[in-house]
Amino acid sequence: MNRLGTVIGFTFKNKVRTKSFVITTLLLALLMTIGIHVPFFIQLFTGGDNAGSNKIGIADGGQTEIAQQIEEYVSALPGNELKFVALQGSDAAALNAEAKKQELKGYLTIAPLANGPFPDVEYVSENGSVPADVQAVLQPALESAKTRFIAAGVLSDEQIAQLTTPVQLGSVSYDQLNGNTGGQPTDGPESDKFNPMNFITVYVLMTLFFFSAMLTGNMIASEVTSEKSSRVMEILITSVSPLTQMFGKVIGVFLVGLLQIGVFGVTIAINLMLPHNRNVLAGFDLDFSQMPLDVLFYGLIFYILGYFLYALLYAAVGSIVSRTEDLGQAVTPLTMLSLAAFYIGIFSLNSTDSLLMKISSFVPFTSPTTMIARIGLGKIDFWEILLSLALLLAAIFFFGWLSAKIYRTGVLMYGKRPSFKELRKAMKAYKI
Amino acid sequence: MTDRLILQNVVKRYGDKTAVDRISLGVKEGEIYGLLGANGAGKTTTMRMVLGLIYPDDGTITYGGRPYGGDVQRMVGYLPEERGLYPKVKVSEQIVYLAKLRGMDGAEADKNLRYWMKKFEAEEYYDKRIEELSKGNQQKMGFIAAVVHRPQILILDEAFSGLDPVNVELLKLAVKELRDEGASILFSTHRMEHVEELCRNITILDRSKTVLQGDIREVKNGFPREQILLKTASPVEGLDAIPGVTGIEGDPDGYLLRISDESAAVPVLTEAMRQSEVRHFEVKEPTLNQIFIRSVGERNE
Repeated sequence: MNRLGTVIGFTFKNKVRTKSFVITTLLLALLMTIGIHVPFFIQLFTGGDNAGSNKIGIADGGQTEIAQQIEEYVSALPGNELKFVALQGSDAAALNAEAKKQELKGYLTIAPLANGPFPDVEYVSENGSVPADVQAVLQPALESAKTRFIAAGVLSDEQIAQLTTPVQLGSVSYDQLNGNTGGQPTDGPESDKFNPMNFITVYVLMTLFFFSAMLTGNMIASEVTSEKSSRVMEILITSVSPLTQMFGKVIGVFLVGLLQIGVFGVTIAINLMLPHNRNVLAGFDLDFSQMPLDVLFYGLIFYILGYFLYALLYAAVGSIVSRTEDLGQAVTPLTMLSLAAFYIGIFSLNSTDSLLMKISSFVPFTSPTTMIARIGLGKIDFWEILLSLALLLAAIFFFGWLSAKIYRTGVLMYGKRPSFKELRKAMKAYKI
Repeated sequence: MTDRLILQNVVKRYGDKTAVDRISLGVKEGEIYGLLGANGAGKTTTMRMVLGLIYPDDGTITYGGRPYGGDVQRMVGYLPEERGLYPKVKVSEQIVYLAKLRGMDGAEADKNLRYWMKKFEAEEYYDKRIEELSKGNQQKMGFIAAVVHRPQILILDEAFSGLDPVNVELLKLAVKELRDEGASILFSTHRMEHVEELCRNITILDRSKTVLQGDIREVKNGFPREQILLKTASPVEGLDAIPGVTGIEGDPDGYLLRISDESAAVPVLTEAMRQSEVRHFEVKEPTLNQIFIRSVGERNE
C-alpha cells in the first residue's frame, strides 16, 4: 500500500510538471474562456450603431387598424422589449430623417391600399435587413394581423384567437396515463426527463468520459512504453509487483486527469459567474438548480469504473510496445472501442429505449456512456443499473488480471510488437 | 560462512531452446562472484532469474535461506546492462523514488544518494536530468540507483563497460567498499582483468552450460603452465633444442618460450644461467583470458 502510494505520487508529480501537460491545460482553459465569451462578443458587436434602441417606427400609410393590431400583438407578448412609435412623413426621405432623429432600430411601412388584399409591409433600416429577434416578433404579429384583416366580420375575436394559437402536442408515458408513477418519490421525474439540464448533464458526462478515457489512456500507454524503452522497467519490476506498478500508474494518471477536469471546471465556473456572462446565460433559460443529482451520482460511478477498465487495457497495450512510435498503431483498437461507446451514446440520446441501447448498456465497454443516457433520459429499472455495474466490475477484475499478466510479460519483451501468439508463448515461457 | 545467494540446478527453457542448463552457484557474504561467458551464453538470463524477473523452469534460488518474495525484492540491487533510468526526470528524484520503492525512507535515501555522489565526484548532477548527462555519468547514476538502498545482494551486469579508466577505478573502489561492508555481489563482465582483480570465485558459462567453476586460483592451477618469460643480460642460444620447448620468440630483453610440459622449466633455467646472467625467470600461469578462450573457444570449434 505504501509502495502504491509512492508510485502514484511519482507518476502524478512528474506528469503534472511536464511542459506538454501545462501547455495543453492552459490552452484548453483559454479556449473554453473564449468559447464561453462568444455569445457575449456576438451581442457586443451586433448591437452595433443603434445598440440599446428598441424602438420601431410604423408609417401606417393610412392603415391604422393593421398598425394597431401589430402593436397590440407585440405588446401582449411576454418579455417584450420592442416599442412602437408612429412615424409621420410624406415620402421616404422624410421618414428616414425622422427615424434617424428618433434613433429608431428601423421602421415598418405599410403600403397605402384602400380595399384590396393585405397590404405589403416593409421593414426599413440602416443596413436593409431584419434582425432575427425583430423578425421573430414581427412575423407572427403580421400573420395575426392578416388573419384579422381577412376574417374581419366573419369570425369572432375568440375564433380568430384560437386560429392563431399554435397546436400543442403533449407527451406522456403509459404509466403516467394509468396514474402509476412507478413508486418514484417525486411526482414529476418522468415528465422532467427531457428538461434541458438532464440532457446537458448526460451530454457532458458522455463527452467527459470519452475524452478522459482517450487522453489519459494514451498518457498511461505512453508512460509505460517510455519506461520500457528507457529500460527503467527492469529496475521497477524487480522493486515492486507489476500489479502495484500498474495500478499506481493508472491511479496517478487518473488524478492528473481529475486535476485537469478540475481546472476546466473552475475556469468555466468563474467565466459563468462574470456579470456580463450571467445575463447571456439567463437568456438560454438554464437553471442549475435543476441539475439531476441521481444522474450525476450514477454518472460519476460509471465514469470512474469505465475509466479504470479502459486505463488498465491501455497500460497493457503500452507494455507490449517497445517504442513510442509504434504506440499509435497499437492503441487503435482501444480508440475505436471508446469511439463506439461515445457514438452509440450520442446518437441514441433521442431513442434511449432502443434495443441497441439496451444491449450496449450491459456491455462493459459501452455501458459507461449508454447507461448514463438511459438513466438520464430514458426509463430504467434499478436492477438494470445494478446488473450493469456488476458486469462492469467483473470486467475490470478480469481485464485487470489479464492486463497484469500481459504487462508482466510484455515489459520484458523488447523488439517488435509481439503478436498475441508470441505473447501467449512468452507467458508460458515466463511461467506467468 | 554459508552462502547468501544460492542457485541449485537452475534450468530455463524458451520453447525448445534451453537458455540456462542446470547451473548451480553460491555467493557468500562479502564476496564478488564472477559470472563469465560469451555473448548469448545465458548470463543475463541467469541474472534475470536471480532478480525474479523470470522464473526458473527447474531448480531453486534462495536468498539468505528464503525463496523469492516481496522482502527479497528489498534486499536486492540491480544494475542492468542497458542503463535504466527515466531520461526526463531529475537524478535526485528518481533515485530517491527507486530507493523508496525498495522500502527505504526518503530522507535516508537522499543521504545515501549524496554520499555516493560525493564519492563519484558527481555532486553537480544532483538536480540535472538524466538526458543531460554523458553516457559515462548516466552509468554512474545507474550504479548509484542500484546501491542507494544498501542492498545485501547486488547484481551488476557489465557494470564497467563504456567507462573511461578513471571512472572504472572509481566504480571498482565502490564495488570493493560494498563487498567489505558484506554485500554479496554477482558480477558479469567480458573484461577478464576486472574479474582477476575483484573475484574470488567464478563460473564460466558456454551455450547455457557451466564449463568451469570454482576458486580462480584453483581454476588456474587446473590449467597447464605453457609459457616461460626469461630476461637475460646477453643473448642465449640453443634453448629450443631442450626437450619440451616448442617455440621461442623475442630477444634478451624478454624471451617468451612456449613449452608443452612444465618439466622443461628447470633445464631452460640451467641452460640460461650457464650462458648468461638471468635477470628474470617466470613460469607464467595462464591468464583468465587464455583460460576463457580455451574453455569457450575449444567448444566452439
